[in-house]
Amino acid sequence: MSQLDELRQIIIGDNSAQLTELKQRIENVEQRTKDVAEVLSSAIEKELSSQQSGIVDSLQKPVTLGLKKAIRSEPQEYAEILYPVMAPSIRRAISQAISSMMVTINRTIESATTAQGLSLRYESLRTGIPYAELALRQTLLYRVEHLYLIDQNTGMAMTTLHADNAQSLDSDAVSAMFSAIQSFIHDSFSVDEGSRLTDLKVGDQNVWVVHGASAMLACVIRGEAPVSLRQELYDALDMVRTDFANEIAEYDGDAAKFMGARSILQPLLRSELKQEDSATENKKKDKPVGPILFSLGVLAALTWLVVHWYDSYSRLSTVKHFLDQTPGITANHVIHDDGKIVVQGLKDPDAIIPYQTLNSYGIAESDIRFATVPVRSLEPEMELARFTNEFSLPTGVSLYKKDGKIYLEGDAPYEWLKSNQTRILNLASDKRLNISRLAADEQSVRAAINARYDSVRINSMTSSIKTEHSKMGVVNIELEVSSKEFASLVSSFSGIPWVKIEANIK
Amino acid sequence: MIKKKVCMVGEFSVGKTSLTQKFVNNVFSETYLTTIGVKIDTVQIEDTKLVIWDIAGRDSLSPINASYLVGAAGVVLVADGTRLQTVESISEIWSTVREKIGEVPCVVALNKADLEDWCVDNTTIESLRDRGWDVFETSAKDGVMVESLFHKIVEKTKE
Ligand SMILES: Nc1nc2c(ncn2[C@@H]2O[C@H](COP(=O)(O)OP(=O)(O)OP(=O)(O)O)[C@@H](O)[C@H]2O)c(=O)[nH]1
Ligand SMILES: [Mg+2]
Repeated sequence: MSQLDELRQIIIGDNSAQLTELKQRIENVEQRTKDVAEVLSSAIEKELSSQQSGIVDSLQKPVTLGLKKAIRSEPQEYAEILYPVMAPSIRRAISQAISSMMVTINRTIESATTAQGLSLRYESLRTGIPYAELALRQTLLYRVEHLYLIDQNTGMAMTTLHADNAQSLDSDAVSAMFSAIQSFIHDSFSVDEGSRLTDLKVGDQNVWVVHGASAMLACVIRGEAPVSLRQELYDALDMVRTDFANEIAEYDGDAAKFMGARSILQPLLRSELKQEDSATENKKKDKPVGPILFSLGVLAALTWLVVHWYDSYSRLSTVKHFLDQTPGITANHVIHDDGKIVVQGLKDPDAIIPYQTLNSYGIAESDIRFATVPVRSLEPEMELARFTNEFSLPTGVSLYKKDGKIYLEGDAPYEWLKSNQTRILNLASDKRLNISRLAADEQSVRAAINARYDSVRINSMTSSIKTEHSKMGVVNIELEVSSKEFASLVSSFSGIPWVKIEANIK
Repeated sequence: MIKKKVCMVGEFSVGKTSLTQKFVNNVFSETYLTTIGVKIDTVQIEDTKLVIWDIAGRDSLSPINASYLVGAAGVVLVADGTRLQTVESISEIWSTVREKIGEVPCVVALNKADLEDWCVDNTTIESLRDRGWDVFETSAKDGVMVESLFHKIVEKTKE
């Protein structure tokens, strides 16, 4: 042992062993880490409980940095951790947005169809306020439309929030005006410091104002809000005042510093619909069932009547339409009687009813009854049919209709002319038949003469039919005949205007 | 965006409302409608939103309503250049302002410069300038110096 060691031994005695141990302990990193860990948590706890922010301040930065780094490196992990916290509120926010949109749409549609809806439309035209907005106002119990967080000192809006589609205002002017009113009240009524403006009423809008030491919160409400809202306003203002104490104290007109306060105020922008929405709605819905059924019944009856009327009307008019086109029938009235379609007017018995056509329109022969006066129709179609029946037309003769007239035309055998002459001439004189191009067949005339009078010598035979505008076709015959035969010849051809005889008496 | 509250103060009928309206809405009216209480207008000047408090004028019956001044970043002292008495009362009004809100930035408008019976001489103007105020001879009617007046007060509030 050196002298120095001895001296040391004398001065600090046995402590030297402890000293060495201490030295070793400091030099040993592992040991030191263990030591710090032992005291660290209690040191932090102590600092926190003594309300000193030193350690919090110094920890803030590394903790934030660490957190950022951790999240960046393992975003999935953190997303999963945060999911249970975030998801419900996100879901709630979305469903709230959707349901409020649905309410708006429903309300709008509902009111668009009523008388009230019409008057709202008019109101909307008059005031320029959108229809949907007016419709919503009608059904709102209340709605918080505007929120102004106002600096008590300058009267300036530190931040403002507005409900969707609430009429927009100049927030700064409004805020300033609130605080001006506040000053005015304060000066004019010069009561104690604590008395302040708390309520304003303009039309159906209420303004509720809650005051803090250096900030106030003004809330523009349409309709009647529950009293409990005022407490919520106070709570929100208190929260802003604690969280933004510094910003409020140092307010210099910079609204950007209060962006964070918006999330605190946002939930106050609330609205509630009128009661009939929920509880009383069912009761109210029961009532109108009677009237609705009744009107449905009336509507159905009316519809049936209209359809039926239309249907029968259309059957009658169908019948009339086709009868009007049918020759030989004059249908003056077509009516319904005793389940039948009754035709009144004039009817030629020969008329051919177009049953087949009517059938295709669902009208059977048995559906129609004719209550008509029988007539002989002079309509060309009818005449034609009648004449065709009457005269069995020989070859070379035709009967046809042209321009509303009936023509009997052609070279007719003498015998046929003879047997029908009276009728034909009667019809011609009645102007029912045009015979201007009817002539006697020369051959048959010659045959007729020769058959009876052997000695007759026919010199010439000419037909007038070739000349234009002849009233009728005439065959001129020149012949030589004995006087006795002549008399018989004339008598036998008398009354037949189609044959003219000139004779040289032998 | 920064917002600044500025107050228009002065005797009644000197043209506080006229100056404000000329600047904000570019309108002027010969008809005199006295302001009751305060009228607030806002206007954007570059990056600053100016909230102008057009305060009712002072007369023998009602002193200037000092509580409207609270929080003002600047003050426009307005006088009527055709009525010397309104110019003289500027000092008195200024002391009211200072008492209430302290030494805020301030500009002076000697208004109605378009009128014939102008009665402010240069000595008076110099004495106002000596107090450190910027003095503008304005006309709300013609718009002369109105822009400069308001731009100046904005500039001063930013210093
Ligand atoms: N010729 C002229 N008339 C002015 C001018 N400025 C204001 N006036 C007129 O002066 C009258 C008063 O103007 P205001 O702007 O109402 O005055 P004020 O200071 O607001 O008055 P109070 O609100 O009562 O304090 C009005 O009839 C204005 O038309 C100006 O520059 N020239
Ligand atoms: Mg005025």
